[in-house]
Amino acid sequence: MSFEAALRMTEILVSLALIQRGAEHLARGEWRIFGPQVVVALALMAGVWPGIAVWVLWALGLWQLHRFQGPYNGGSDKMVLLTLTCLAIAHAAPSRLWAEMALSYLAVQLALSYFISGWVKLRNPDWRSGRALSDVFAFSAYPVSEGLRALAGRRRLLWLCSWAVILFEVAFPLALTQQAALAVALGVAALFHLSNACFFGLNRFVWAWIGAYPALLWFQLRITGQGAEFPLL
Amino acid sequence: MLRLVLLYLPALFPSWRFFMEVGPSPRVEYRVDGGPWRAATGRPLRVGPGAMLRRLFWNPDWNETLFLVSCAERLVEEPTPHSVEEIRARIARRIGGAGVLEFRLVFHVRDGASVEFQSAPLAFGAPGR
Repeated sequence: MSFEAALRMTEILVSLALIQRGAEHLARGEWRIFGPQVVVALALMAGVWPGIAVWVLWALGLWQLHRFQGPYNGGSDKMVLLTLTCLAIAHAAPSRLWAEMALSYLAVQLALSYFISGWVKLRNPDWRSGRALSDVFAFSAYPVSEGLRALAGRRRLLWLCSWAVILFEVAFPLALTQQAALAVALGVAALFHLSNACFFGLNRFVWAWIGAYPALLWFQLRITGQGAEFPLL
Repeated sequence: MLRLVLLYLPALFPSWRFFMEVGPSPRVEYRVDGGPWRAATGRPLRVGPGAMLRRLFWNPDWNETLFLVSCAERLVEEPTPHSVEEIRARIARRIGGAGVLEFRLVFHVRDGASVEFQSAPLAFGAPGR
């Protein structure tokens, strides 16, 4: 994937994420921020003045932070704002090198989002024993139905799920060594986000994270030399 | 401006420590005119595959519920009028009508639950009440 293609794909996917969440806010009558956000995201998706559109969306993201005194939807808002920041810098960069650095930063953060999340679980005895995931189903605010709370008692299953998540997340950076491995890892990661959306209602995380995938696909080719004239490694 | 910078920095340099530990989990409860306490947000007994698929694209109620959880956590860590008003306004919109509203935050842990915050009585609906 070329740098230009990765940039364009990221713009399209983050636009879809912004339109999805913007529409949810518009249904709440929150027009002042999210009306302009949806319109500008549609323009970005169509490729209309992308260099300006990403900066406008970035500014609207800051306004949203101010309005809600923090993220409205936790990590998913942070990921979308990070993506917009990197796109905005890539468009405003004085040279190709700095533009690539901006997209690389997004790619590295995406990989870190899995690795660090796995690492902190690996260090927690409650996660290693499956107790933490049992707690999530037992008393956290996240399960989307009361019926799902019954899963808290399936300790063996939750132990297996906990270790599957931990090992996948910690091992994620290894996928950067091979193009095919990264494609598989991102597919598994997308399924992981999908399951979080089904069980915990974290639908915005799906679109926020997938929006950053093109950056990592490009970055992997760039650092292994498969997609660039001057490999970094 | 400094406040906005402080809010923005975690997006620029995220910690990515999702679910590092499962801490006390808040539920928002409310009562009107001193009546019985009720849950401000509920969840269905079951959600079928079709609804799960639909919620992938359209889930405003649940996302608002998650925002109320965030506000509840912020309110206990660092009480601000903003968090109180966000919770009050969203409960008032959900229940409709008018009266004197109180809400409280009940934090659930593995072995039980405790009330960590209770708001002052707040008028909602028709002005002057």
